[in-house]
Amino acid sequence: MYCFLRFSILLVGLIVSAGSYAVNAAQPLTTADDLGPKVEQPIEFPHDRHAGDAAKGGMQINCMYCHTYARRSIVAGIPPLQKCIGCHQNIESVRETPRIKKLFEYWEAKKAVPWKKVHDLPDFVRFNHERHIQRFVFAQNKPVQEACGYCHGDVKTMTVARRQKPLSMGWCVSCHQKDHPVDATSTKTTHGPNDCWQCHK
Amino acid sequence: MIENSFNRRGFLKVLGWGGATVALSGCGNTSVEDGREFVTSYVQTADYIIPSIGTYFNSTCAQCDAGCGIMGRVREGRVLKLEGNPKSSINNGKMCGLGQAGVQAHYNPDRIREPLLRNGDKGEAIPWGKALELINEKIGGVKAENIAFLTGGVSGHVKALLKNYLDALGSGHHYVYEAVAPSIMRAANRKTYGVEMPRLRLDKAKVVVSFGADFLGAWISPVHFSQQYARFRKADNGERGVLVQVESKMTLTGANADRWLAIRPGTEGILALGLINALAAAGLSVPGDVAAVVREYTTDRVSKDTGVSAEHIGRLAALLKERSPSLVIAGSAAEGYAHGSQNATAIALLNQVLGNVGKTVEAPSSIPFPQMAPSTGNRFALQSLNDNMAQDKVKVLFSYGVNPVFTAPASMKLKENLKKVPFKVVFAHYMDETALEADLVLPLNSALEDWATVMPEYVAEGAQLNIQQPLMEKLYPGTLGMGDILLALLKQRRPDEYKGYEDFYSYLRSAMVSNKGALGGSTTDDDTFWDATLSHGVVKLVSTPVNMSGNVSAKGLVVPGPFAEDSAYPFHLIPAVSASLRDGRNANEPWLQESPDPLTTIVWDSWVEMHPKTAAKLGIVEGDIVEVASRSGAIKAQVYVFTGIHPDVISVPLGYGHEAMGRYAKGVGVNAFKILDPVFDKETGELAMHETRVKVSKAGRRVVIVKDEGPAGGNQMGRKIAVRVSSNKVNLSEEV
Repeated sequence: MYCFLRFSILLVGLIVSAGSYAVNAAQPLTTADDLGPKVEQPIEFPHDRHAGDAAKGGMQINCMYCHTYARRSIVAGIPPLQKCIGCHQNIESVRETPRIKKLFEYWEAKKAVPWKKVHDLPDFVRFNHERHIQRFVFAQNKPVQEACGYCHGDVKTMTVARRQKPLSMGWCVSCHQKDHPVDATSTKTTHGPNDCWQCHK
Repeated sequence: MIENSFNRRGFLKVLGWGGATVALSGCGNTSVEDGREFVTSYVQTADYIIPSIGTYFNSTCAQCDAGCGIMGRVREGRVLKLEGNPKSSINNGKMCGLGQAGVQAHYNPDRIREPLLRNGDKGEAIPWGKALELINEKIGGVKAENIAFLTGGVSGHVKALLKNYLDALGSGHHYVYEAVAPSIMRAANRKTYGVEMPRLRLDKAKVVVSFGADFLGAWISPVHFSQQYARFRKADNGERGVLVQVESKMTLTGANADRWLAIRPGTEGILALGLINALAAAGLSVPGDVAAVVREYTTDRVSKDTGVSAEHIGRLAALLKERSPSLVIAGSAAEGYAHGSQNATAIALLNQVLGNVGKTVEAPSSIPFPQMAPSTGNRFALQSLNDNMAQDKVKVLFSYGVNPVFTAPASMKLKENLKKVPFKVVFAHYMDETALEADLVLPLNSALEDWATVMPEYVAEGAQLNIQQPLMEKLYPGTLGMGDILLALLKQRRPDEYKGYEDFYSYLRSAMVSNKGALGGSTTDDDTFWDATLSHGVVKLVSTPVNMSGNVSAKGLVVPGPFAEDSAYPFHLIPAVSASLRDGRNANEPWLQESPDPLTTIVWDSWVEMHPKTAAKLGIVEGDIVEVASRSGAIKAQVYVFTGIHPDVISVPLGYGHEAMGRYAKGVGVNAFKILDPVFDKETGELAMHETRVKVSKAGRRVVIVKDEGPAGGNQMGRKIAVRVSSNKVNLSEEV
């Protein structure tokens, strides 16, 4: 009798723990697309050529090679022109193509390329790139393109970037409510902060 | 005062509609600018520059003449906020509110953006090349002795270039003018200590007696003195220093004092001599000649003359005798009279008798490059320029860093005399009162976009050269730095000598690098030295303390008795120098207008400060508009009734009442400079700022004063927040 009672308690415990494990399991952070406007840029920068898969003719360059500020600043930043030139002065094969010629024109005039903003948030929202990159890329060992892609979509397939996600408050919150492991090895999970002032300060 | 028919009800109405509009426009994320806004990246950048993260660059504050070192936070190529530079021994990383407003001088919407040439009543924009050529042409047409250069205090390489330019012209007429400067004290110091600006060591003193020196607010180097004051109040040995402030109108320093003594205006010297007499009577050894002079200053007589009670004089003398070393400071309130020099000398004599010289009055350091040493200004210089202009001796006038049309008393008739000068060039940031009189206005870079070196008059340790460097690109392409303009003018005169320098920066760099041995860089190469210099923002110079050679002699020291009653003009006018507005040069920075005066909490306006007894006698209450009339003019302003002022005195702050300059300065308050009487210090010829006698009459209207203080007028509604006891009720035996 006791034995049966013990067993049933054990069983209930097991079911409950299994159930709670299922609830705690990490949920996918990808969301449906909601395209933003097409933005015409002064130079039609081919993200696919730079970051795309090798099989499709891409260079598989890490996002953070160019958007180097993302991991240490609230903004990802557009790379300085000298970064483009740093590589392209040694790539003779494309030196005479129209886009690269235009790039060097800006460089020789020492003028910044007037890129248009593709992802913008209202002025009362403070989004911090550093926190997200540190969490997903460095703490959880997520692939860089996946982590950036949560908000920016599959940039490696685009030429000029286009907004892929709604970037609305509801959309941000929908992700902050999902559980995810605190780091790559831990089974503990957590979710993004819910305080108003985290973004509105 | 701001006169506006826009009342509170109207304000609320607009606020209501405005709020509704904001709420409506809030729908639909109108501030999101996908695909419309530019996101501009750097062409080339250093690794340490990260978008959104500030980088700090060191420079020098130009808001007043103290020369504090500053650090500007620069983000995305814009300077956002200023902090103190910890490497500067003047301010050790601290800063004042006036300095903080430096960004508003830089981003000010009223800055002049291109050279303007007079065409009738209008200024016509002309290119720089034409402006400089015009100067060359005008100078070529007159004799060298008819060229005059009027400046504020200048130092460093700009001063050296200016001197070279004047030499090249063959004219030595450089007038250095400062509207509020301790020039009588400088002269008295030179006589008594052999140096103009000895180092005052408040931190070493156990008692400080300040005769109207507002060293925490607006006097010489307030940030530096505030730090010394903190150490004086909380000394390493735990002994708290005692501050006694003697003045006729309470300053910020007076409000911080342990004892504030209201003295009858102009009798500061009598009190100093009376204290020497009391000290001698208490057994302090006093030289025979001094004792002979002060013998007649008995406590009773001094008390009667100064209005300070005999008991207070006795306590003060006992305090000075008991606690040594002490420090006695002569401030602008003591020296602002026709006998200001005598007052300052009497106070210096007190320091001497107390044995403070060498202890709390220390020798400053020698300056290794005398051509860059600060040229300090005074009001006498403006007087002599004015006389020369009146006699048609000035044909071409340059004016830089001063606004004499605003700061000169009306009795000087400076504006009329300026009209006699055929060609006037004004280097300016704003279209101020002086720039409006100019024939050619040359717009200057702001202090945050200019190159210069600054050697402050008062340096805490050794000798120091401050670097002023651009914290960001110029906002307007049409402005130039003073150094660049002088270099361009020098190229006209001495092309062979200066053609090698492309701009003032290259001149400055080469001048500094070629002297790097004396600037502490003898072991480093040129680039390392220059980078370190710019990075630190200050250069320590090799120097030795000078000998303080002067001697105070009581011989010939005569301090006149108190002023006679003047029934027509019964009150003394004290033009107050406020910590924010000073002589009015920063009046167009709205933060300074908006920050409340520390004692009265009034904002955005002038006021007439008077004692409650005086107000009661005249039947005046707070907010009454009164006319303050001197023999030289009259102004109208609101009355503020305040106990921290002698009943014989009324006080009006300086710096307000601009007729031009910009949207934040123009028409705010009244200009107290204008009604100052032409009375001069007998020894130095300086304008005696506190000598003006005035009468006060009601002008009929009454307004509500705009101030931070509560509606109860600071009576604390029965709560003991700040306990105040009138001085005749204090039990002095329980006090220090």
